Amino acid sequence: MNPFLKIDVRRAAGFALLAATLLCGGLTTSLCSAGPDTNAAPAAASSPAASPATRHQLTGAELYSIHCNRCHPERYPTERTAAQWKTIMLHMQVRANIPGQQARLILQYLQENSGR
Amino acid sequence: MKKSKNTSRWICGLVAATGAAGLLPTAATAEVSDADFNALKAMVQQLGEQVQSLRQTNALVEQTHLQDQQELQALQSKLAETQQTATDANQKATAAAQAEAQPVPRAPLDEATVNRNFQILGDAEFQYVNADHQNGAFALADFAPIFLYRGGDNILFEAGFDTTIANNASGGGYSTTFNLSFAQLDYVMSDYLTLCAGELLLPLGTYSERGAGWLNKFPDDPLAVDALIPGSGVGAELRGAMPLGDSGKLLNYAVYGVNGPSSADGTGNAGALDLGGNVGVTSGGTSANLHGNPSGGGRLAVFLPFKPRYDLELGVSGMFGDWDNAGNHLWTAGVVDAALHLGPNFEAKGEYILTRYGSDDLGIHQQQGWFVQAGYKLAGLDLDLPLLNNLEVVGRYDKVAFAYDPVNNVFDFNTQRYTVGYIYYFTSALLFEGDYEFTHSNDPSQTDTQLILQISYGF
Repeated sequence: MNPFLKIDVRRAAGFALLAATLLCGGLTTSLCSAGPDTNAAPAAASSPAASPATRHQLTGAELYSIHCNRCHPERYPTERTAAQWKTIMLHMQVRANIPGQQARLILQYLQENSGR
Repeated sequence: MKKSKNTSRWICGLVAATGAAGLLPTAATAEVSDADFNALKAMVQQLGEQVQSLRQTNALVEQTHLQDQQELQALQSKLAETQQTATDANQKATAAAQAEAQPVPRAPLDEATVNRNFQILGDAEFQYVNADHQNGAFALADFAPIFLYRGGDNILFEAGFDTTIANNASGGGYSTTFNLSFAQLDYVMSDYLTLCAGELLLPLGTYSERGAGWLNKFPDDPLAVDALIPGSGVGAELRGAMPLGDSGKLLNYAVYGVNGPSSADGTGNAGALDLGGNVGVTSGGTSANLHGNPSGGGRLAVFLPFKPRYDLELGVSGMFGDWDNAGNHLWTAGVVDAALHLGPNFEAKGEYILTRYGSDDLGIHQQQGWFVQAGYKLAGLDLDLPLLNNLEVVGRYDKVAFAYDPVNNVFDFNTQRYTVGYIYYFTSALLFEGDYEFTHSNDPSQTDTQLILQISYGF
């Protein structure tokens, strides 16, 4: 294998990874400044004027069906308490790549129908 | 003259007084005797005593009456207090009954009580295997808990373990293996980006992140996933998703840097490639990476839901990095993944995996493999048969092929496998799976057929 070609490939791949990271970080920074506070309560976060992402018509129950069914059978909201759902939803938000706004709507649905 | 007039007045007065005095005693003596007088006197005295007695009695009665009135007032006061107490108790009982009848509001919650939470999820499996030309055996008991600790609204630590017992064929007895599947700290930086650090499940395809026992519809992994790509790596990752419009469509993305594949013996020979062994610290205690060049990778995917439970997901992912200690050879991998759901009863998904790596002894190696699997829940047929309604039929085809298998030391390795089976759902999380596998391989060590029965539980 041509060593110069190998170095070029490494550099190109490194630059690509760096560029992707910076692009992702920059995009996130710009969105963060306009996006809703992740600490906001679900009810407040569902305000129609919060961000472009909040203008969708999907409910928490619909989003729950959409996302959970991607990997496993849906669990009953009564299987967990409101506090437990909050932790599980944070886990699922990361694992299933769910945007924060949608995750809050799903969490609100689960908590309103949870088992105490 | 005047003196004679005064004298005559005195005489007249004396005569009149004498007459009156003589007339009156004469008349009384005539009507009341002494006895009567005494009797009357005694009677008067008796009446006086009776009057005195009556007065005393009356005083006592008045005193008693006064006491009765005081007691009555006290009783009336107590009655009023009792009535007030009864009224209060009634009101409290009514309020309690109303409170009990009304559901306790669940939101908003007191953040102080829920802002930190420890939670255990996971799965457990129990497996029986009967392979061709081998004795059937209870082959596996697996307990795989996931510990979650949420420290606030956007910090989560999660760690998954895999505890399995295995029969020791040569030494007797059995052994227990305890593996750390992943252990990562997640910091949700925004709605669209999360920073993860630790032992990460790599988004190289989707199987490694969605292949837990009760999530996977088959009791074993696809051949290519096991043989060609690492499931996890130690490093850091940025991941997230961006909504595409208002209908739930998403753009998923992830970029990461991890230690990556390494050499098992430090050389660049093809057979030394170790996909998952490079964690930065050797078992001998050397605090050094096996090589100084970490690997990088990422995944980009679109998730397209048409409506709830109807969706298509398409993704491409890749990873690259030096694998030998000298840093002379690059290992690269590319994966294309797809998943389709048509309602709650049908799912199909698959992945194509291509990897290449250089070596000192055998030059460039290219390996590839793929799998496609589908499942259909018979509840979709509306047969009104409880047993069939709980049943899902599944099928899978998978293949792996590469010029040289460093594990089995086989050249032009090529294996295909067909799997048919079922899943019986006792509940949505308690599954009884049965699969029969037909394997065709140029490697004689591969089993031709085998039956696998497994009970899975997700908790």
